[in-house]
Amino acid sequence: MSPEYLLARAKNEELQDKGECGGAVSSIFKYLLDNEIVEGVLTLTRGIDIYDGIPSLIEDSEDIIETCGSLHCAPTMFGDLISKYLKDMKLAVAVKPCDAMAIKELEKRNQLDRDKLYEIGLNCGGTVMPITARKMIDLFYEVDPDDVVKEEIDKGKFIIELKDGTEKAVEIDELEEKGYGRRGSCQRCDLMIPRNADVACGNWGAEPGWTFIEINTEKGKDLVDAARNEGYLDIKTPSEKSLTIREKIENVMIKLAQKFQDKYLEEIYPSSEDWNKYWDRCIKCYACRDVCPVCYCKECALDKEFYVDSEQIPPDPLTFQGVRLSHMSFSCINCGQCQDVCPMEIPLALIYQRMQKKYKDKTGFIAGVNEELPPLYSPEKD
Amino acid sequence: MKVHDKMKVVHSICPQCSVGCGINLINIDNRLVGTYPYKRHPINEGKNCKKGRDCIELVFEENRPKNPLVNKNGTFSDYSWEEALDLFVSKIKSYTPQDIGIIGSGNSTNEDLEILSKFADALGVEKKGFYAENFPAFNIETATLDDVQSSNFILIVGDVIKESPLIGRRIILARENGAEVVSADSADKTFTGLNSDKYIKIRSIGEFLDNIGPEVHNKLKDSATIIFNKLDLKEEFEKIQNIAEDSGSKILPVLKQCNTRGAMRFLPALNQEEISRLINDVKFLYVVGDNPALYAEESFKNLDFLVTQSSSINETVLLSDLVFPASCWVEKTGTFTNTTGDMQKISKTISAPAEVLEDQRIISKIAEKIGIELGDKK
Repeated sequence: MSPEYLLARAKNEELQDKGECGGAVSSIFKYLLDNEIVEGVLTLTRGIDIYDGIPSLIEDSEDIIETCGSLHCAPTMFGDLISKYLKDMKLAVAVKPCDAMAIKELEKRNQLDRDKLYEIGLNCGGTVMPITARKMIDLFYEVDPDDVVKEEIDKGKFIIELKDGTEKAVEIDELEEKGYGRRGSCQRCDLMIPRNADVACGNWGAEPGWTFIEINTEKGKDLVDAARNEGYLDIKTPSEKSLTIREKIENVMIKLAQKFQDKYLEEIYPSSEDWNKYWDRCIKCYACRDVCPVCYCKECALDKEFYVDSEQIPPDPLTFQGVRLSHMSFSCINCGQCQDVCPMEIPLALIYQRMQKKYKDKTGFIAGVNEELPPLYSPEKD
Repeated sequence: MKVHDKMKVVHSICPQCSVGCGINLINIDNRLVGTYPYKRHPINEGKNCKKGRDCIELVFEENRPKNPLVNKNGTFSDYSWEEALDLFVSKIKSYTPQDIGIIGSGNSTNEDLEILSKFADALGVEKKGFYAENFPAFNIETATLDDVQSSNFILIVGDVIKESPLIGRRIILARENGAEVVSADSADKTFTGLNSDKYIKIRSIGEFLDNIGPEVHNKLKDSATIIFNKLDLKEEFEKIQNIAEDSGSKILPVLKQCNTRGAMRFLPALNQEEISRLINDVKFLYVVGDNPALYAEESFKNLDFLVTQSSSINETVLLSDLVFPASCWVEKTGTFTNTTGDMQKISKTISAPAEVLEDQRIISKIAEKIGIELGDKK
């Protein structure tokens, strides 16, 4: 369908006040729960502090208020939580673009039922690893990370708000140059607006107190219409200026991501000697495989005896990483989880994203976005 | 806030080794079905080893005592708590303190160990302790994981990177920052050796420590850490401590169990020989949370009466006359002290089966029945 743009905010004053950008997303969730259209909402809630986002299943609309506000220091992944534990449930899920990509790949592999899901997309400029965030707040902001009550990413800055209400901001460029800031995969990610979800919500181009929503599917359109008709949302049409600003922000972010792709996937990409050193570290813990939201086979080739030559570590990189790479790289959505969880700090996401990118550049196939399956699964493969 | 019973993601601390990694557990209707990265945790930032991610397998559904059990001629029968406690009390009262032994575990919480230690004191039992391999009890400042990561030089004894990957990670990061890593062990080659700048094959730890040359010794003067996860003899701990003091380097002993370091505050740290001697010397043995039959079975033959308190059916349970069903780490609240000395809280995540009780409660019930005071729990 052709895109449709609108500005929305919660009618409920508490959600409007507590929610991000007028609380439109929270209000949509409340509408879905109140009217029993979904049995649960899968989203993040704040754990011990603002650096601790915990996937939570909310089933009572009274609890939606607890999920208000964004958490950028929460590099979580919802796709496999749904396919492993919640696939029989009618669910609404708040998705970053990479969550929506994982869901798309799982859907293609019949690992979840897309009809049971409402995907409420959240525009994403990237996430920061929690401990990295705490270290950089200490170093660059000279602030005790425990004194921060809120953080946001806006206009190229990572902004923190302190207990006493003061704000401090540092350019993300500066943080990332020194090895802090967003996760590597987020720096190289060029999908900021989740057009692969039912709706994509964010503050880019929005007036203060409003959420900019791009409608991506018929389901998304019906949802927003119904939430308005039932008195959950105020809706208005964005101005031309709104649209232009949003487009401009998106383009700047995409250009920046491409710059990072060129840098990390080509210019300073590890040499084969470097990779040999990385593979020497592998303890064959399978964390990369097990966390991958797309990888789903119950019987994994890596467990097959004919591939496993011995229990020695490091494993032969050809029969371990090589097999995994050949199975997964075309479908890699660059969520970076494999690298996040690697106890041995092997920069796995680089090699996977690089392979997917090469394939994308040649064929146009974008994992997590396109409807068809990647070549290993495709009936059209030669 | 009410969260759906269908799925809860909750913080926990991995009980598999002494590093103290954070791990999120996925709980569906009071069953742990999986783990999820706990990236907010300062020790491991969401990274766990295979053993760590498998920790939920320690919660046994079947292979655990669910009622007090009494062994009659090789067959176990279910007893009520009342009957089982009466049996314990009548038996223990028939022995003098010299004939009673108590063995705790580095897998128990500090709170459980504290009450066990008070129980031993109240009874006047001196033959008590827990298995700490060849590590002596110590109470010194040790290196933090951030110290490891910012070291310029790291000397490793043992295959630390393989056996404790989340300490290994800090060594790898230090090396990426330019640190030099030298490792030593008795095997021809080790995984840690492969990831070191230099590997030294040694005949014994003692001999290696006595002959550290000036080349290594000089490097130990420059923001260095000595990491070791095994000793041949208890005295070697002091040797390493002396080397560190002479050179100004830090030390990080990597202990075995999730609360070995905490247990040292409450019970004597015993090696295999000492535990075997203890068991040999007593008639009545009360084992809480450990499985000494695995490493000292020979010494069991002199025992009259063996009581084991456990959350799984293990070798020692099978040899026991009386078994108390105890809750495991996710079924209780308390603290573990990891190998770097950080005390971390664990919270009750799932309920134990109905007749399974926490160690503290079992010990308190026994004490009450015997009529001894354990004092206020700190």
